Amino acid sequence: MSTTGVVEASIHQGIVPGYLLAKLARSSQYTRAAEAARQTLIKGRPEYHSTLQLSVDANGDLIADVQAAPTRTIYDTHSTEQLPGDKVRGEDDPEVADKAVNQAFDGLGDTFQLLLQAFQRDSLDGKGAPLDATVHYGQKYDNAFWNGSQMVFGDGDGEVFTGFTSSVTVIGHELGHGVIQTTAGLEYQGQSGALNESCADVFGALTEQFTLDQTVDQASWLIGAGIFTPQVQGRALRDMMHPGTAYDDDELGKDPQPADMAHYVTTTEDNGGVHINSGIPNRAFALAATTIGGKAWEGAGLVWYRALTSGVSKTATFTEFAEQTIAAAADIGDSVEKAVRDAWITVGVIEDAQVRDPR
Amino acid sequence: MPRYETPGDGSDAITSQNGDADSRIVIAVVRTGGIAGLRRRWRVEREPAEAPEWVALVERCPWDQRMDAGEQTGTDRYVWSIHAILPDEQREQVVPDALLQGAWRELVDAVRAADSD
Repeated sequence: MSTTGVVEASIHQGIVPGYLLAKLARSSQYTRAAEAARQTLIKGRPEYHSTLQLSVDANGDLIADVQAAPTRTIYDTHSTEQLPGDKVRGEDDPEVADKAVNQAFDGLGDTFQLLLQAFQRDSLDGKGAPLDATVHYGQKYDNAFWNGSQMVFGDGDGEVFTGFTSSVTVIGHELGHGVIQTTAGLEYQGQSGALNESCADVFGALTEQFTLDQTVDQASWLIGAGIFTPQVQGRALRDMMHPGTAYDDDELGKDPQPADMAHYVTTTEDNGGVHINSGIPNRAFALAATTIGGKAWEGAGLVWYRALTSGVSKTATFTEFAEQTIAAAADIGDSVEKAVRDAWITVGVIEDAQVRDPR
Repeated sequence: MPRYETPGDGSDAITSQNGDADSRIVIAVVRTGGIAGLRRRWRVEREPAEAPEWVALVERCPWDQRMDAGEQTGTDRYVWSIHAILPDEQREQVVPDALLQGAWRELVDAVRAADSD
């Protein structure tokens, strides 16, 4: 850190060590930073990790700001199914030799940053909830899931799936379930379940785009790219822009996702097809985001986030959710509202002639 | 490579593929859900005389167990649909992944292992 007071850009310090806080609190040179540090010390150490951001304003004054930071813990079940397993990396620990552990750790951080920077949300619950994940779950376990309080990653069977930690969209998807659980709480069945799945895919895609700083035109809109082995004829688990085209494999069959309501799949399996019919709202999101342009988390992402956190019911249908997103979009602007409305019309969830409800 | 099947292809018919259907044991396991949403199916079919261990595996399962989907918290979990035909009875149960333990797990693991041979 510069001691001359000429700090050109923001300095991001991962964790504020106690000795630095104490030293800053006594500083006569950096009076504002000293006050911030004293306040932090008075309040006691934050319950969760924080980032101390230092910058210099136009007057040359040092600005110290305490921001939320993730509290990550990675566990290893060593191919058993006894959760959570042994702790193998905590927030303050350096990288370890196990690639899956580091990938999970980094993916949790990427998702945390999306939530904080794009939506000003402090972790899954908005209150700094710790982010826990377990790797190496089960034997040749072909899945990654959210168990209600943590993420769980299998290693894959090596024939169809490689490990699941290599895809930041998968990690963002699972943590997205944590956000949904603490907001709309969409029931995991039928249309509300498909919305739950779709919103999780939205968080997954946004995490990747935010991390890579991609515009909507640069985005892949793929979920789980790279987790199939090379033997599989497919590029990802799902394609949000083109549902039903992610894979077409001799053994796996064809991606069963519909792209519009005319092809909605009625089934009792998979909690009523939650991973199948999510293709419809997925496409609506990708279409709206592309029409709005720019960075998806600033446009369609913000709209979807506001809809999700503004009173949508647990048993929402596609139509109810569409109306919520249109209302949220209208608060941003006419062009955004039109883009969102047109997207839902394209996928057949609302009709062209539908008159907007008075708000 | 393991066999995966897409929904609606009719391949999960539980009836015996042998002409003498009434006398054979058929056990089918269908797994759906998971983050991938892929459907996978395993199946065994045996003559009763050569399959007392399969009858025992089926009969040890608590088929009348109340399966409350609400007991499975979280998302992207598997859902297991288990069907069994014995010479004198037919059984069916849907088991959430979180409840696939004990006799259920033993039966599913045995069917998967036998179908992968």
